[in-house]
Amino acid sequence: MTHPMKFFLRVCLLAACTGLVGCQKSETTSAGTAGAKPLTIGVAFETLQTEYWVAGFEAIKADLKKRGHTMLEAVSDGDTNRQFDQVKNFITRKVDGIILVPKDAKTCLPIIKAANAANVPIVLFNRPADKSDAKSVAVVADNFALTRETVAYLVSEAKKAGRKHKAAILIGDLGDINAIGRRDGFDAAIKGSESVVEVVARIPTEWNQEKAQAGLVNALQASPDINFIFTSSDFLLPSIVSALKTAGKYHQIGMPGHVILGGFDGDATAYQLLKDGYLDATGVQDVYFEAAQCIQAVIDLRAGRTVPDLIRDPGFVIHQANLQQKAAQMWGAQMSKK
Amino acid sequence: MSDAATARSWRATAARVLFSDYFVLWLCVVYVAVVAPFTPGFLTLENAGNLLATLLPLFVVALGQTLVLITGGIDLSVTSIIGLCSITGALAMNDDTGWLARSPMAMPVGAGVMLAAGALVGGFNGTAITRFRMPPFIVTLASMMGVSGAAVWLTQSKTINRLPDAFNALGGKTTIALVIALVVGISVHVMLSRSMFGRWLYAVGHNARTARVSGVPVNGVILGAYICSGVLAAVAAILYTGQAETGSPVLGQRILLDVIGATVIGGTSLFGGRGKVLWTLFGVLFLKLVDNSLNLLSLSLFTLTIVKGVVILLAALLDSLRTRLGPADR
Repeated sequence: MTHPMKFFLRVCLLAACTGLVGCQKSETTSAGTAGAKPLTIGVAFETLQTEYWVAGFEAIKADLKKRGHTMLEAVSDGDTNRQFDQVKNFITRKVDGIILVPKDAKTCLPIIKAANAANVPIVLFNRPADKSDAKSVAVVADNFALTRETVAYLVSEAKKAGRKHKAAILIGDLGDINAIGRRDGFDAAIKGSESVVEVVARIPTEWNQEKAQAGLVNALQASPDINFIFTSSDFLLPSIVSALKTAGKYHQIGMPGHVILGGFDGDATAYQLLKDGYLDATGVQDVYFEAAQCIQAVIDLRAGRTVPDLIRDPGFVIHQANLQQKAAQMWGAQMSKK
Repeated sequence: MSDAATARSWRATAARVLFSDYFVLWLCVVYVAVVAPFTPGFLTLENAGNLLATLLPLFVVALGQTLVLITGGIDLSVTSIIGLCSITGALAMNDDTGWLARSPMAMPVGAGVMLAAGALVGGFNGTAITRFRMPPFIVTLASMMGVSGAAVWLTQSKTINRLPDAFNALGGKTTIALVIALVVGISVHVMLSRSMFGRWLYAVGHNARTARVSGVPVNGVILGAYICSGVLAAVAAILYTGQAETGSPVLGQRILLDVIGATVIGGTSLFGGRGKVLWTLFGVLFLKLVDNSLNLLSLSLFTLTIVKGVVILLAALLDSLRTRLGPADR
């Protein structure tokens, strides 16, 4: 009779042999493409939970395909340690470069160091890392400037109404440097216009729709005269619409009781609300520009060319007056066509 | 040997394999054999190192879950304990604002604070379950929410880095993490197989009423199991935080299914009275092999989640089958 341990050893031996064949196969493939130009780039996203990240992911995928490069993908679903594993897996697979969306500015530092140690160029899409000795390039929107410009437009609309407005801001996860930039941009735009806009509610959302809705419902109960709302991300707009409807304050621009509404990102919901006349303005991040810059940065770094540590996406503000003209550049408008 | 005798011999071998302690390990080997030819870089030393680094913290936290499951309970708060311990340790140790910033005692005291925080939450869970006769599911679900909220409140969602290098090495250097996990694993194994407390854990899980009549201090045993679970979650937090070189209130938030999944796949019963350190190790290994191979295959998140779910379901189904068909004393 066969003893289980002997059987186990036999299976181990079989597995080892099969594995060796597998390794040999992958080495042959690598050798076959070693001299060729196409690169293999690992793309690791922290999440695909919002339209913005999906649009960014798809833009990178499409751009890489257009350039003839291969993409390996990984999404860590909000788990930092898992993302670290995924990047180490990319390194194991000998990628030529890595494009990373980290969870936050600090937890990505060991990930960047691992890529540095393996001599693999790493570029951060839309979320920069904290300053450290870890070397990376970040492609980010100028969150502060773009938010300031967007909110300045909203303030000018408030001025036109000729009465004082009570404002609420929905703040993102303050562990995310982008959320901090947007909050500071909002404050900078409001500063000096306090006679027109008074901030009565600052709602922490931690980038969570349920928290945003509950927070805004509470704020509208505490201050029913809120008539100016800015959200740090457009993906919270459905929560805002729901809270405004509940409070009987959801009216189109130009109608009595309209709440001045602004956002950031430029997603499909924002585009629809702009078209329907409920949203006054939103700051649009140029996803296609950011995707192209990330890929180009990886290529340049591999070629030994100098690349700045920070590449800025200037973005643009889209509002009722320039909607027709700018819609073609708005990624949310493109997504809504699909 | 006749055909009939050969068939009998193979059937007997198959039965031994199916009902042996090493069943999940064999499942791992078969999985590797099937997947390796299609997965670039799977059978390399570098990948083995990566796999080990990710396996160790999950193994430690799953050991705590094993102890609680043996008593017939469940601990849903382990992931929140990891977040809370991560942030309390980082608050104590970080070089910028830590109470022990740049002190040579930062690492040992910081790690001690983390272990104490884990024991405290575990003690709370155990006390609520034994004193107030509340269901473990509700108690640990509530403490999962409360502890998670406390961790976020403590830092206002912020992460904390600039931790001492000596602390980061505990999780960041695989050899050190391996030693920690081995010490923990062997200690729990000895406790379960050689100590009175270990025998009491199984007795409580089999039948708490009978155990009480037989003189087992049931409440104390359950309390002890939850404290152990909290402490082991804190050890896992030390390893995870060291790997990330950052304290985060949401660290480990997404691994609850992996913890329970790995423990149950290993063969530990959700109904209590059954579980071993080795089984948990094999369950964790299987889950990590699946995770690692699917990542190396660069599957999309959606495909990966579906495939992982199906594989776990099949493994659990197989385990449930052998539990039903297997010998009663298994």
